[in-house]
Amino acid sequence: MGGTQDNPDINDAKNTSSEYTSIAILERIRKRGRVWGDLCAQYGVENPDPPWKVCLEGTCEALAVQACALPTLERRWAEDELSETLYQGVPFPERQLLALAHTLIQRGLFGEDELARRIEKVGERLNSV
Amino acid sequence: MAKRDQGEHKAAPMVEEVSDFEILELAVRELAIEKGLFTADDHRHFTEFAHSIGPLPAARLVAKAWLDPQFKKLALEDGVAASKEVGIDWLNPTGFGTPSDYTDLRVLEDTPTVKHVVVCTLCSCYPRPILGHSPEWYRTPNYRRRIVRWPRQVLSEFGLQLPENVEIRVEDSNQKCRFMVMPMRPEGTEGWSEEELAAIVTRDCLIGVAVPHPERKQNAARPVHKAVHPVQHDH
Amino acid sequence: MSKTHHAQKATGKGDPQCFAGEAGPPKFKVGDQVRIKDLPDIFYTRCQVYTRGAVGEVAVVTHESPAPEDEAWDNVDRPEWFYIVRFKQSELWPDYPAVYANDTLQTEFSERWLELV
Repeated sequence: MGGTQDNPDINDAKNTSSEYTSIAILERIRKRGRVWGDLCAQYGVENPDPPWKVCLEGTCEALAVQACALPTLERRWAEDELSETLYQGVPFPERQLLALAHTLIQRGLFGEDELARRIEKVGERLNSV
Repeated sequence: MAKRDQGEHKAAPMVEEVSDFEILELAVRELAIEKGLFTADDHRHFTEFAHSIGPLPAARLVAKAWLDPQFKKLALEDGVAASKEVGIDWLNPTGFGTPSDYTDLRVLEDTPTVKHVVVCTLCSCYPRPILGHSPEWYRTPNYRRRIVRWPRQVLSEFGLQLPENVEIRVEDSNQKCRFMVMPMRPEGTEGWSEEELAAIVTRDCLIGVAVPHPERKQNAARPVHKAVHPVQHDH
Repeated sequence: MSKTHHAQKATGKGDPQCFAGEAGPPKFKVGDQVRIKDLPDIFYTRCQVYTRGAVGEVAVVTHESPAPEDEAWDNVDRPEWFYIVRFKQSELWPDYPAVYANDTLQTEFSERWLELV
């Protein structure tokens, strides 16, 4: 470590955690999920952001400020690394969402199975209306 | 749909399909609430804040300063006090007590010989209460790494080419100061009202990657160029 | 992280404004030539690697605050002065094109990172 990195922005503290392993449930969403850009094209919608983006911002903010569970800087660093590795090529804000879920699981704030079960429940609920 | 019933954000446009990402967002949020990381009410507050912020107050601040030399002086001396006059209270931006960001706002004044541009190479520090959420490109390592190293090349990708005698001053926002740029008022806007002027001070002008133009009210799309040669340095 | 004192101390005043008056007189003034020390990074810093060893000019004496190296551990007892330092780009990047010799970069440091040249 020290002054030999390639990039001016990466400081030593973050450079130690480059091994990211994929998480099955998120991998499935990455592969199968339809991103906002595609939905817009299909349905002729022009809104640049998906409606859930602002809720995602709210979650990130609440995790940093209210919970102190995931400080913004740490979330952003993890997001940067994941965006260049596992979630490379995923557009924004889908990428931010995958990275957030990944980081929360990685930090043990909830489990992968727990998330999978919840996704199933939420999916049933949203699709039943 | 359940989420729309809660009135958390305006109704989605007519995309008649629930995507896996929409489901994931809600699932993550519900689990965080269930684990007690925050409450649904906290989330509603923060989402309202996220929804309410945008670049308009900063644009108004600039337009006002163009028209009023006294206000301009205030803006350059005390960004937080000037923000109040365009409706932004940095000490209470979310409306419930906790500052959600640092509060030392500095306004960087462009002149005929100095052009400012803002970056945060560490992450993506940005004056959110007055400028809204940062655009995606501002957060990318691509912009953050390259603007400090090749500012003229990056600015030209935004369509901004400046003569040699203009000093490009990159401001790397890495501590508790937050920065916005006060660009120069363009020619062709004589006699314009504050509102008309504010309309041409786009978000990109306030970050410093564009300059106002009397006929431009939108941010330009930006092509993304990969860093071909990674940065090396000798210090 | 710093949110604890955010809530307690910064409400109604702002952060870093809530530390005003706690650091004593600033050691440097606008116009001073300073070098960025190459201190070891222990655990956490916000001082960019690309500025280490470079010489610049103090452009603004900004505010008092605990240094991030301390604040990251909730140690807010010893605020220090912060400075925006202006560098010639050619000082940071030796191969920066000479034709753009006027170009500069500014960034901020806590006092511990600076020494007079």
